[in-house]
Amino acid sequence: MDQFLVSLMNGLVYGLLLFMVSAGLTLIFGMMGVLNFAHASFYMLGAYFAYMLQDAIGFWGALVVSPLLVALVGVVVERFFLRRVHRYGHAHELLVTFGLSFIIAESVKLFFGNYPVDYRIPAALDIPAFSVGGAQYPAYRLLMGGIAVAMFVLIYLLLTRTRVGIVVRSAIYKPRMAEALGHNVPLVFMGVFGVGAALAGLAGAVAGAFYTTNPNMALELGVMVFVVVVVGGLGSLEGAMLASLLIGVITSLAVSVDRSLADLFALAGAGDWARSVGGLMTLKISSLSATIPFALMLLILLVRPGGLMGEKD
Amino acid sequence: MKTAFLCVAAGVAALLALPFLLSQGLLNAAVQMLIAALFATAYNLLCGQGGMLSFGHAAYFGVGAFATVHAMNAVGGAGLLPTPLLPVVGAVFGLLLGSIAGWFATQRTGTYFAMITLAIAELVHSLAPHLKGLFGGEAGVSSMRMPAWGFDFGSTTQVYYLTLGWALLCVALLYLYTRTPMGRLTFGLRENSHRLRFLGYNVHGLGTAVFAISAMFSGVAGGLQVMSNESANYVVFDPSLSAAVILNSYIGGVKMFLGPAFGAAIMTFFGYAVSDLTQSWLLYQGILFVLVMMFMPTGLAGLPGMVRRLVQRFGFAQVMPLVALSCGAALSLGAGGVFLVELLRRVFSQDYRAAIVAGNDWPAVTLLSRDWLPGSPITWLVPVALLAVGAALAWLARRRRAALEAAEAVDAAAPTALEADAIVKEGLA
Amino acid sequence: MTKRNHFNRALVPTLALLVCGAAAAAPVKIGVLETLSGPQASSGLAYRAAVRYAIDQINAAGGWNGEPVQLLEYDNQGGPAGAADKLKAAAADGVQLIVQGASSAIGGQITEDVRKYNLRNPGKEMVYLNVGAEALELTGEKCNFYHFRFAGDAQIRTKALVAAMKQANALGTRVYSINQNYSWGQDMERAIVDNASAGGYQVVEKTLHDVNKVQDFAPYVAKIAASKADSVLTGNWSNDLLLLMKASRSAGLKVRFGTVYLDQPGNLANAGDLAVGHFVVHTFNAESAGGEGEKFVNDYKAKTGHDPVFIEPQTVFGMAMVADALKRTPAKGGKLDVNAFAKALESATYKSPMGEMRMRAADHQVQMPMVVSTVSKDARYKADGTDMGFTPVKRFSAAEASSPAQASCDMKRPD
Repeated sequence: MDQFLVSLMNGLVYGLLLFMVSAGLTLIFGMMGVLNFAHASFYMLGAYFAYMLQDAIGFWGALVVSPLLVALVGVVVERFFLRRVHRYGHAHELLVTFGLSFIIAESVKLFFGNYPVDYRIPAALDIPAFSVGGAQYPAYRLLMGGIAVAMFVLIYLLLTRTRVGIVVRSAIYKPRMAEALGHNVPLVFMGVFGVGAALAGLAGAVAGAFYTTNPNMALELGVMVFVVVVVGGLGSLEGAMLASLLIGVITSLAVSVDRSLADLFALAGAGDWARSVGGLMTLKISSLSATIPFALMLLILLVRPGGLMGEKD
Repeated sequence: MKTAFLCVAAGVAALLALPFLLSQGLLNAAVQMLIAALFATAYNLLCGQGGMLSFGHAAYFGVGAFATVHAMNAVGGAGLLPTPLLPVVGAVFGLLLGSIAGWFATQRTGTYFAMITLAIAELVHSLAPHLKGLFGGEAGVSSMRMPAWGFDFGSTTQVYYLTLGWALLCVALLYLYTRTPMGRLTFGLRENSHRLRFLGYNVHGLGTAVFAISAMFSGVAGGLQVMSNESANYVVFDPSLSAAVILNSYIGGVKMFLGPAFGAAIMTFFGYAVSDLTQSWLLYQGILFVLVMMFMPTGLAGLPGMVRRLVQRFGFAQVMPLVALSCGAALSLGAGGVFLVELLRRVFSQDYRAAIVAGNDWPAVTLLSRDWLPGSPITWLVPVALLAVGAALAWLARRRRAALEAAEAVDAAAPTALEADAIVKEGLA
Repeated sequence: MTKRNHFNRALVPTLALLVCGAAAAAPVKIGVLETLSGPQASSGLAYRAAVRYAIDQINAAGGWNGEPVQLLEYDNQGGPAGAADKLKAAAADGVQLIVQGASSAIGGQITEDVRKYNLRNPGKEMVYLNVGAEALELTGEKCNFYHFRFAGDAQIRTKALVAAMKQANALGTRVYSINQNYSWGQDMERAIVDNASAGGYQVVEKTLHDVNKVQDFAPYVAKIAASKADSVLTGNWSNDLLLLMKASRSAGLKVRFGTVYLDQPGNLANAGDLAVGHFVVHTFNAESAGGEGEKFVNDYKAKTGHDPVFIEPQTVFGMAMVADALKRTPAKGGKLDVNAFAKALESATYKSPMGEMRMRAADHQVQMPMVVSTVSKDARYKADGTDMGFTPVKRFSAAEASSPAQASCDMKRPD
């Protein structure tokens, strides 16, 4: 029971981390129709900027300034790269972000080297929060989860209760009309892109200390973020939250399940036959925990492509 | 039409003569370029002609590869078919997986289609390491080419001709496909699938068929690679291979039939030649891709066409300086960029940082067989100057082009002699 | 004179032909075929640095046959397909000895390609010098006369690790085995189980996880905690090791880790204090190598700018054995007779700072000393720019560390 509880909490926190990164991506897609392949790179840049700034202005200072720097990068990307190729269509914009993700990853390797860098949680925060089942639960994980939840609430309130939020939502829904009403829609686009990038940067700054900060971070998280965004529904913030929690919990709980298809067949009496077949039959679910999200994504795309909470196709 | 035919014939003749012109090492690179070109052309059937951007095409390449390697190992190592016919196995399995995947994927369009293809590819990529019987674990499945039809297929030259034969055959078939009614319908899929549906065509079935055919030829390409390397490894399902074929196709230009093949050949050669020279070659590849996407959306293969159209509009004499300026700008910017990147790489490398002693001057770095001191301004002046010259040339080229277009607009607005006559007469009358 | 760059390679054979004639003295060409770019480049670059140092040493001692040895470098672009291509390029360039170590997958590809190339081109054979690919099958089912391994394998490493940890009373009776789900990890799992009686422990649970895909090791740590293990033995490397250790630390799990790759550069710096007290089995520890070891470290640092760590020492020692074999191989018609060289290498020995090394002819697996160390702040040589280093716990001579040749190796010898 304890192990289940710990796994559940870990899954929730991992899911919240995924949400932090995918929130920006889903907003950007909802607004511009562009699936930003460089989004996971913003996550990586957030971690590296925080690592650079940590010695100068301390951990909390780095946590505040690093997302701002990443937002700046995001704004530059939107203004000078995406706006240029906007007229060639969504596929083109997608490919430009694709190329940019390569450039960012290689530039990080150029300046920081191929090995992981020493970006760590400050000693003051590296304490256990409480004990459950004989193991301790680290306080930093709770901090990560807390920051993610606070972010969600802030953005949700921003979008639904403020004037800026209304303008952004109308620009997403009917950009031409919003422009006709006198709002500076290109500025809105740039702002949303910047904010989305900043969110990913914050996620990187927070998570890079807990996990490792290395040039392959973007690749490691990148695909999972796409799965989350697709499962949740492209453009829906609540969907991203739901999907990231779902995927975080499933990945975490699957690790403790040591059963396989053969065990299922054993229930029907055909266990020995299934085991002798081998291959797919004897694959344990715990070994497949990283594969399950893709199967889920495929299922959603076929059955309900709008995602769990997106618009109906 | 005649010039196109002559060009193609000349190209084929050159390809046939390559083994006599190149060293064995470069010949092997040529084999890889042919395989990449075939894969890109097969991919373009789906992407450029059918308008369906697929992000997971490596899955079909990989399935073809593994099918072929198992066929090579079948019958106690003698091979299921004679060696030259083995890529057929790759084609069959590529077609099979392509039909199944395509049936699911083409139910949606646009970004959702791309995501489905990505999900299928990632699923295969995740499962492959677990299915050792099929995919052979991380050492892969290895095999050996068997002699057939009087050849022993031991030397690179024979492998080259085998690959060339298959590549030419498949590209020819793909080209003939574009000439068939179904090929024309494929273009329709890209332009306006709604209208096709209203005209009564089964768009889903058509999409599936196009996907399956594209996957079939990708399987052939995978089979050819296996026959050249004599082994198949599950890293072939890596997203980087799907990424590479997309990059190659767009750099070459998806609107032309041979564009992706050209792009793939160039990028494969670029990777082969440059990867041994510098560690930053992936960075250069990324920069090249982004620059092409932003400034040359028709791709590199579209460049001759673009120049020809400019010459038609403005005349040879006007366009030549423009081309010269652009080439100069590209060379200068390229040289400056490469110099800067290489300099930065050396200065930021771990070994160099360890060699810096606090308080002393920073030691020199070696570039182009010369020593450059990071402390001296000349070291940074060289790339900055090159970049500045390149930027200036680019600006001049842009101004010239704008001037040409402005002159053309004025000419168009200005009345012709006959019209001027008529206006004067009306005025006088 | 060591490395030539790719475009210059055409000049050398042309000049040689023009100036010298048919029975010219041809220098030995050694090619290092590594992952020099892309995500896995960090290890490949380390191997290259060590090989460069070793070649410089060979040339400082006079080279071979009066000529300096040439080093050519090839980037396999991160995968077996690239490795196959570059191997063909190396063969076309006249390279006779290929050095590689960063990946067992690529090692598997190279050994097979070298075997097939040698079958098809008698008289122009190549030798594969494996300085780091530790998959068991390379000296097992895939063993071949032209492959020589200068590194350990899962059996050798685990045997030493278990013995040392038992002696240090860190092993306990309940051991948890967690590894990556591919050949190396599976080899380690088997080795951990095989050593259970020698180590006096019981393997409470075995887990295999996806390679380099798991970000959150907390569920695995939860399993370890639930199994009440005393120690964890793992062959994980890079992120998989770091994240596992970080996750156990934050869960407050009190287990000892016995690892193979804890000394990979970047690990100690990233792990920080949580690494103290854990064990690693590796091939070189300067502190236990005495005066010779110190000389080696100082010389290496002077020439390359950093201490020899991780796989660099074993590469240098392996190449020293190659140098020994080269010295005993006379030139034939001015060129290196690869078959004679391989026979000489089969009986090569070298007195490294860690002890005697010799090649075992049965399966071409080097018999080399191993040392198990623990991370501590009292170590003489600090690692990664931190205040911690590796203090040796127990050193094993080559004979003590040895593991018998596998029955699956059926080596076909020429003539």
